Amino acid sequence: MASVKLTKVKKVYDNKVVAVHDFDLDIKDKEFVVFVGPSGCGKSTTLRMIAGLEEISDGTVEIDGEVVNDLQPKDRNIAMVFQNYALYPRMTVFDNIAFSLRLQKVPEDVIYEKVTHAAEILGITDYLLRKPRALSGGQRQRVAIGRAMVRDSKVFLMDEPLSNLDAKLRNQMRAEIILLRQKLDTTFIYVTHDQTEAMTLGDRIVIMKDGYIQQVGTPTEVFDMPKNLFVGEFIGAPKMNVMRTELSRENGKFFVKPFGVKLEVDGAKGEALAAKHAPTGGVILGVRPEHIQLTTAGAPGAIPCTVEVNEMMGSELHLHVVTEDGTRLIVRTPTVDLDAAQRDALSNGSRLYVTFRGKVMHFFDPATEENLLN
Amino acid sequence: MAPTAFLQRGFHMKKYSDLEYLRLSKGQKFAYRLASFFGGIPQALLGLLLGIGRFFKKIGQGIGGEVADLVLTFKNGDWKTRISYLVMGFGSMARGQILRGLLFLLFEAVFIFYMIFAGGHWLSMLPSLGKIGPHEEYNPVLDAYTTVYGDNSFKILLYGVLTIFFIIALIFTWRVNIKQNKISEQILRSGKKLKSGKDDLRSLVDDQFHKTLLALPLTGILIFTVLPIVFMILVAFTNYDGTHDGYNNSLFSWVGLDNFRTMLSWSGSGVNYSATFGEILTWTLIWAFFATFTNYFLGMFVAMMINKKGIRLKKAWRTILVLTIAIPQFISLLYVSKMFAKNGIVNGILMDLGWIKTAIDFWGSTAHSGLLARVMVIVINIWIGIPYLMLIATGILMNIPQDLYESSRIDGANAWQQFSKITLPYMLFITGPYLLTSFTGNMNNFNVIYLLTGGAPTNAAASGAAGSVGFTDLLITWLFKITTGPDSQYYLASVVGILVFVVVAVISLIVYNVLPSIKNEEDFQ
Amino acid sequence: MNNQKRHMGLKASARISNTIIYVLLVVISVVWLIPFICIVLQSFRVENTWQVGYVIPQKWGWDNYIALWNSDFKRRYLNTFIIALVTAALQTVFVLCMSYTLSRFRFKLRAGLMRFMLILGMFPGMLTMIILYRVLKDLGLTQANAVPGLILVYVASSAMGYYVSKGFFDTIPKSLDEAARVDGATRAQVLWKIILPLAKPIVIYTILTAFMGPWGDFVFARYVSFGTSSGMNVAVGMYNWLNLDQIGQRYTMFCAGGVVVAIPVTILFMCLQRYYVEGVTGGAVKG
Repeated sequence: MASVKLTKVKKVYDNKVVAVHDFDLDIKDKEFVVFVGPSGCGKSTTLRMIAGLEEISDGTVEIDGEVVNDLQPKDRNIAMVFQNYALYPRMTVFDNIAFSLRLQKVPEDVIYEKVTHAAEILGITDYLLRKPRALSGGQRQRVAIGRAMVRDSKVFLMDEPLSNLDAKLRNQMRAEIILLRQKLDTTFIYVTHDQTEAMTLGDRIVIMKDGYIQQVGTPTEVFDMPKNLFVGEFIGAPKMNVMRTELSRENGKFFVKPFGVKLEVDGAKGEALAAKHAPTGGVILGVRPEHIQLTTAGAPGAIPCTVEVNEMMGSELHLHVVTEDGTRLIVRTPTVDLDAAQRDALSNGSRLYVTFRGKVMHFFDPATEENLLN
Repeated sequence: MAPTAFLQRGFHMKKYSDLEYLRLSKGQKFAYRLASFFGGIPQALLGLLLGIGRFFKKIGQGIGGEVADLVLTFKNGDWKTRISYLVMGFGSMARGQILRGLLFLLFEAVFIFYMIFAGGHWLSMLPSLGKIGPHEEYNPVLDAYTTVYGDNSFKILLYGVLTIFFIIALIFTWRVNIKQNKISEQILRSGKKLKSGKDDLRSLVDDQFHKTLLALPLTGILIFTVLPIVFMILVAFTNYDGTHDGYNNSLFSWVGLDNFRTMLSWSGSGVNYSATFGEILTWTLIWAFFATFTNYFLGMFVAMMINKKGIRLKKAWRTILVLTIAIPQFISLLYVSKMFAKNGIVNGILMDLGWIKTAIDFWGSTAHSGLLARVMVIVINIWIGIPYLMLIATGILMNIPQDLYESSRIDGANAWQQFSKITLPYMLFITGPYLLTSFTGNMNNFNVIYLLTGGAPTNAAASGAAGSVGFTDLLITWLFKITTGPDSQYYLASVVGILVFVVVAVISLIVYNVLPSIKNEEDFQ
Repeated sequence: MNNQKRHMGLKASARISNTIIYVLLVVISVVWLIPFICIVLQSFRVENTWQVGYVIPQKWGWDNYIALWNSDFKRRYLNTFIIALVTAALQTVFVLCMSYTLSRFRFKLRAGLMRFMLILGMFPGMLTMIILYRVLKDLGLTQANAVPGLILVYVASSAMGYYVSKGFFDTIPKSLDEAARVDGATRAQVLWKIILPLAKPIVIYTILTAFMGPWGDFVFARYVSFGTSSGMNVAVGMYNWLNLDQIGQRYTMFCAGGVVVAIPVTILFMCLQRYYVEGVTGGAVKG
């Protein structure tokens, strides 16, 4: 159990490519932090620098107040779970989990206790004498986690641990990681490219792109207040709808006019814009699919559009609609309140009206793509 | 079209965009790609030259940087560091790193000891390669003139080179020693502790483990490959041969570029080395080409036959072929060579059958530049080479994704189209580097030629320049013949060896730079 | 007609092509085996020690093998066996050290080292024989002491042949090393406990090729033994038997010797063929 502090950490490869720029982050004891971003954003590199598998080009990494830059991985008291499990093929499950303890010369009966205990938690007791190749993907991942568990290490590192699993298993393992975390009660650093994993697992999320941190915050913070357009689009599925429009101000009230329909930025968003003295003019407007509502013709702020594709997801519909000026929007609407006739009215090619409220709008500077409310 | 216009078009080759290229006819496409390939060669060579230039520039800059760092370290360093410029390892010892310091000091002591008692002598003799040769001297005890041996050119050259190696090693170690001081000062200044001798030893099995692993293999390569190669390159600039063996009969000495001039000038007085060299080089290239590609395609063919669905006893067929790999070549090749001898089994059987009246002289016929022998070595080489290729091709063929074949069958491809559009490109792509090494390996394929023919039949026109030369002689067997010939013209053998290196290097570089399929090694990881 | 052809069963056309292939394979097998059959048959020929124009001996017997037993062949065979054994052991260590290092460590001079070895490999090795011979002579490792001398030369530079082995190590996921290092293993422990148990195929391949090499070397071995019978290996001795002045008496003995040399190597090879195939294939693919 320990805090991890990264100060101006930088990674430059031999070919002068900079993978991570001045990475600053304070991870508190027992915190679960998720690094998330598209591939090549430097998230794994950062994790591997914390683990000691990658040399730190500049800056310092501290674990529990001690600078570990020059320590070998084995001396950092960390545990790590790898994307492809990295189980030792010639060892049984038991030996895999016991490997680190044996290197520490822990007595065999203690090893037995620890390994069987971990196996029980993970539900792999029946497989202890099998070789990794005789296990399914999910079971292998459990062994990998078990191997990390028995070490009682200060920090638990996970590098895309679920990305080799199929969707169903991934959901299940995700839940198990949450349980595991409650049991272990230690510091977790978790790397993923999947925003759902990030949102569901992390106390805090670090969103990265091209080696730079884009935003650090709780899941709610990054969802409600994306610092820039990239974060706004990256977090949430389906992706946030983005449109270029004009922000205008009349009588102290802010208005936007997407697709020729004038909408008032009402509620707290409007007040916040006013408080920030937001400049009027061109703006990038972002609205999440789940925040667009269906409405009727003639209702205030009704935007006419045509359904292009209707995706029935079961609990909800994803409507890909085209507005009159040709912009494509995605609308997410729950199916629970729709009867059969209403659903038919949303079939491909039919016309409908949508609208959204001011409080769900996100405004980004068209030049810097930063959130206007930063 | 006027020829000049054509030439201009040739030199400023039009670069087509992707869409333009697609509109070209089949022939145009081929011509375009051919032109791009050959157009790429000058660029590749230019790139190589620039690369060499960059390399030297980098070295120059590196040395400049090192010198500047040395001066700075001295200026900014404390007295422990400064003394280390003279007494290696002093700084380390003074700062408590006894083990490191002692090793540095030991190395310096050994070096000084060596230089005083041996190295200095060898080094001073190196420019002359010895002053006093063997000579007759009056021996008062025997009351007769006896031969007294003087300097030994061979040893002077060998140990001179070794001494230079040693000096380079010392400079390097000295530099490391000073760098160590600088780093230690920095560490101490930042308030941290230095590594102890125990830490140093521990790191040799951990973060410095590669040094431990490489120590022995690299020492071996340095002494048993690098040193001999440097020595033999230097021999090319001397007159070392059987009559100047450096000790017993006469010293040898530096002759500058004379040997290269002899070998490469077309108007040699008396014997014409360059013609002989050219002739052997041509045959070497022809041989390497046929030896490589006959094996490649026939081996692939055999592998495809064995691997075809529905063919049984796959393992048995393979095992029969692989026998030729298991049995040492000197047995199989020598035996086959004798089978085809004038009084050998093949002739015996053919005559018994009545197919021929007189024995065929497979290895002796000089008709058409020894064509018969040349064809025979290529054919017998197929016998030796197919099994390897069969194994390699089998491995690769099994890796070709089956769905490629399935989808091509649905698209209506026949067996030949499947081979030419799927199998062959895949094989060529994967085995590109192998083909190159196999080509250069065949250029130096001593065993097959030496064991089968020993170079025969004799090429009377080319012989005489440096012993007898045969029509099937490769450069490498010629080189061997020169060294074992009556005069043991080692200097000439060295020149040939260097030229072989140049030919191999140029071919390799061109292929590496022009072929797109040769991939970066990291791509495989 | 056309339609008929279209409907000619897949089976029928496969049967025709398979028959052709079987015929070809039988022909190839015969061609490949003939020299070996001949050598075995001639090793049992008693009536004449010369080479003759027929295959089947007129009189059979063990004479050639007995002559072999009574000659220096025994000693040479033992020499070669010792050389092969020791070389196989040491060369494997050298090659594995080099290839594992180049596969797993990223140190400053790595790329330069690999390029340097590539360039060194372009020099014809034949060239260095003279000097290596002289060095061995200075060390007193020639003629009667040729066995340790030959071992030294075979082993010393063997790490240059690291390519196949490195290609194999490259296929073992690096995350295994990393996991073990995080688990608390030193680099040496990673190699010993994790990688080596996985490297069995390449270890066997390296041992096998290293063991087979010395049986066939006669050029350098001839230099080093330099006419001293007790320092020769089988290849040198047998090569001499086919010289013009000896071939009359020794030809069938050569055949018998060939059989005796080939049998153990072939048996070993056949037993370990699987690993050899893996190595050769992997090596070519990795380049």
